[in-house]
Amino acid sequence: MAEIVLTAGVPHTPLLWRLLREPIPDDLVSVASNYDRFRELLATARPDVIVLVASDHFRQLATSNMPAFMIGKAEEMRGTHPNEERAFGLPFVTVPGDPEVARVVLGHHQLPAGFDFAFSDEPWLDHAFMVPLLYLTPQLDVPVVPVYTNTNAPPIPSARRFVELGTYLRTSLLQSSLRRRVAIIGTGHLAFELGGPRQFLGTSPDPEFDGLACEWMAEGRGEEAVEACSFERLVGAGNLTFQFLNFLTCLAAAGGRPATIAEATPCRFGNEPFFAWEAE
Amino acid sequence: MSRYMVNKLMVEIDRHDESVAAFKRDTTAFLESWEAAALSPDPPYPVGGSLTPDERKAFADWDFEKLYVLGAHPYLLWHLVRAIYVPERLTVEELSDAFKAAVAEHDWPDFST
Repeated sequence: MAEIVLTAGVPHTPLLWRLLREPIPDDLVSVASNYDRFRELLATARPDVIVLVASDHFRQLATSNMPAFMIGKAEEMRGTHPNEERAFGLPFVTVPGDPEVARVVLGHHQLPAGFDFAFSDEPWLDHAFMVPLLYLTPQLDVPVVPVYTNTNAPPIPSARRFVELGTYLRTSLLQSSLRRRVAIIGTGHLAFELGGPRQFLGTSPDPEFDGLACEWMAEGRGEEAVEACSFERLVGAGNLTFQFLNFLTCLAAAGGRPATIAEATPCRFGNEPFFAWEAE
Repeated sequence: MSRYMVNKLMVEIDRHDESVAAFKRDTTAFLESWEAAALSPDPPYPVGGSLTPDERKAFADWDFEKLYVLGAHPYLLWHLVRAIYVPERLTVEELSDAFKAAVAEHDWPDFST
């Protein structure tokens, strides 16, 4: 069976890419340190594959065809879209995939009971995937199975569905006959706004939400998080806060146990999330 | 109001440097070309679309406040206005301040798709 060697949640704020260069600005030193710390955690865990749960930002997916959850099952993937090279300076890259693991999660001839994923044979990873990969695996030498979630185009799946996704990922991997060391990494935001009146405040638009979010993770209070994370509560915390839901998938993928690291790291973009569930 | 078409157009403008440049160079011509493209759809990913008069005017005027009120997706809207306003017309900081001031009174319009 596969072994889950690390579950983690990290930020993907793309404006960090041009800023985290020496000399690193004072307010971003802790963010850089946490990326370093999580890169070391991942290196220590020695995964054969990363299952990466992230949200496409209308780059590959549009509302002409918008799945709730989609898995990429290609052997190789493009990373970074042209607008993101312009806006964020992210490099165009190629990322290895792991179709065998993708198939375990997706199903072979029929979709698995209880989860109807869409799939892509030509996934093209946007900054939500690329920023975590560039910081955590700079050589891009660990195969990736991308799990796309729709957190950006309402109607979005419910918080409970994100928990079910995490439970399903965990169960399907642990029950598989594949011998792989798997890291499950999710990425998203705490309270965050862009394209609205509370963007770029220099601080979090909703520190109370961020504090609760860290408590839910640190204490393994997934059910409380599901109850709290209504659409209205999330948009009230900032119009892109829906991406927090990817971390509920991480919590469930870790079996719902308390995180070993649960930090909201303050910087100019608000509080950046760093969550980890080290191996059981 | 078609949030779908508004969002689709924002994505298609911002997608490439060339499309951003063409929109900035001659916005009216860009919009006419975009709407004309929809008359000859190429499935399964047809380009182009159609806009209401209000939407067309908001794009023609680079009026981000109006697009915000119309329910343009906030993520796409911010990246579009950043692509077309910066650096020739405003710095990012100036644009962000102007954007926030313009949309503040409108709270969060429904941007469900």
